[in-house]
Amino acid sequence: MDLSPIQNAVASGSYATIADACDELMLQVASRGIAYQEDWPFTVHLLGHIFANDLNSARFLWKSIPQGFKESKPELVAAWRIGQCLWTCDYSGVYDAIRGFEWSPEVAGLVTAFSENYTKKMFQLLSSAYSTIGVADVAHFLGMSEDEATNYALQHGWTLDSSSKMLTVKKPKIITEQKLDPSKLQRLTEYVFHLEH
Amino acid sequence: MAPVRMESVQAVVAHIQALSGSHEEVADLHSLLKQSEGALRSRAARLGPFLHQLDPSAHTLGYLFLLEAYSSRPISREQDEKFLPFIAGFINSCSAEQIRLAPEKFISVCKSFKDQVMQLQVPIQGITPLRTAIRKLQTSSEQLTTLHSDYLLLCLLAKFYKAGLSILDDDIFEVDQPRDHFLYCYYGGMINIGLKRFRKALECLHNVVTAPMDALSVIAVEAYKKYILVSLILNGQVPPFPKYTSSTAQRNLKRHTQPYIDLANCYATGTFSELEACIQTNLEKFQSDSNVGLVKQVLSSLYKHNIQRLTQTYLTLSLQDIANAAQLKTPNDAEMHVLQMIQDGEISASINQKDGMASFYEDPEQYKTCGMIGPIDSFIQRLMELSKKLSSLDEQISCDLAHLTRIRKELPRLD
Repeated sequence: MDLSPIQNAVASGSYATIADACDELMLQVASRGIAYQEDWPFTVHLLGHIFANDLNSARFLWKSIPQGFKESKPELVAAWRIGQCLWTCDYSGVYDAIRGFEWSPEVAGLVTAFSENYTKKMFQLLSSAYSTIGVADVAHFLGMSEDEATNYALQHGWTLDSSSKMLTVKKPKIITEQKLDPSKLQRLTEYVFHLEH
Repeated sequence: MAPVRMESVQAVVAHIQALSGSHEEVADLHSLLKQSEGALRSRAARLGPFLHQLDPSAHTLGYLFLLEAYSSRPISREQDEKFLPFIAGFINSCSAEQIRLAPEKFISVCKSFKDQVMQLQVPIQGITPLRTAIRKLQTSSEQLTTLHSDYLLLCLLAKFYKAGLSILDDDIFEVDQPRDHFLYCYYGGMINIGLKRFRKALECLHNVVTAPMDALSVIAVEAYKKYILVSLILNGQVPPFPKYTSSTAQRNLKRHTQPYIDLANCYATGTFSELEACIQTNLEKFQSDSNVGLVKQVLSSLYKHNIQRLTQTYLTLSLQDIANAAQLKTPNDAEMHVLQMIQDGEISASINQKDGMASFYEDPEQYKTCGMIGPIDSFIQRLMELSKKLSSLDEQISCDLAHLTRIRKELPRLD
């Protein structure tokens, strides 16, 4: 079984493409009647879906993995724990799941990249959802200690009221690009023509 | 060409090899093969070795006739496992042009393939081959074939829901067999539900429920049950039947889906405990319909809709008040629900932890940015395409003989 498309994706750090590569290859291999399950990189496949935030595919993949594999591969179970926490919106549980396992070199890069992305995404969510938020909660959502979380927030322009331990959010400036290029005029002409006839 | 009696399979094979060159040769071959069908079928068990003498790509039509005869007889389990990759290989290499000369035979081979894949409980093995088969059989991506629903069924059974999207996302304009349409839309609805694309699921199920129906279809009844549940999850209510729904459906669907109607009525009261009680009463029915997962999602959507209703009345509200109104236990629960709804893009709000308040505001999207032009443009393009198609369909119908005859009958009455 030629797993090179998946291995290349992992090695080159194009983590966003892993899930699709795995899916396509799995379907191809299965259609040839090859018994692929024994050697299939389920952990990488699962983490690929988690990285792409496709929790539905992650869940379906987990359901289709034979029970024996789930019992004999602790790394696979650890990867699924991340997915479970994401699915149940256990925001801080995700960090526990990431840090609570010694990842093999094969997937360590993928897990680290996911962790960084996740922290950034959580911070963006907090920026858009909150006007003021407690330091303890920020620490909880970002999986950091209170001091680390405070520094992270201050670096991004938030302000701290040390007496109440409240952070005030600085909303990111939304750049609205409104310049139109001439090719769009062609489109507009087509619309008007269509409407007139 | 005068009809020739094919005595031996070898003779048929020789003709296939000789006549697979030009279009005229293939057409001649086609009539020859049709005459040999009986002979081939009677020798079905022995056709295996002959298939190896043919090239599935160059001799597609001949290969197809032999393969169809071969697969029409019951096959033993050991032979099954070798047979499946064999057919998959054929589907991969066959010529689409030659396939379309004998589409029923191709469909028959694919259906045997699908049946065997399901019998051996390896639906995943059938996904890529069936997807290739659909693309080769279709004359355009707008045509619905009878293989579409088989493909979606395999995706569902293999739990490879995302694979269904490559076919589901095509717009269908031509349907040959109404029955294909029912199953296709029903499975399509199920795939979309699995992927939590509820709006798309609703469209698919809507198409089953409102399709022309002389007699009540069982598929439509099951689709309506899911339609009710998905409507509740998405919009908090179930819309009435549109005018174009068949009278068969309008008169009969509700009678066969009473527990679901009860659930919808209970949902409208907005009380969590009442809804839970209603679900408990009808649990067995939901279980036998395999709808328990969806019903649970209906229950948890109640919080969401209650909170959304609040945004229509209030600009700011304390988290405690939100918790009371939505029947959540604590302000923290309310905060988590609001946070999740913001994450999912279901409301525009801002939480102020210092004061324990949430502020609701209008969707900040003004559709004025360059980024918005892409989606709006493609949306308008699709509408224009649809409009052109409707105009040409209208023209076609106005020229249709049956239609004109009917108009003529009505004319004297107008004088």
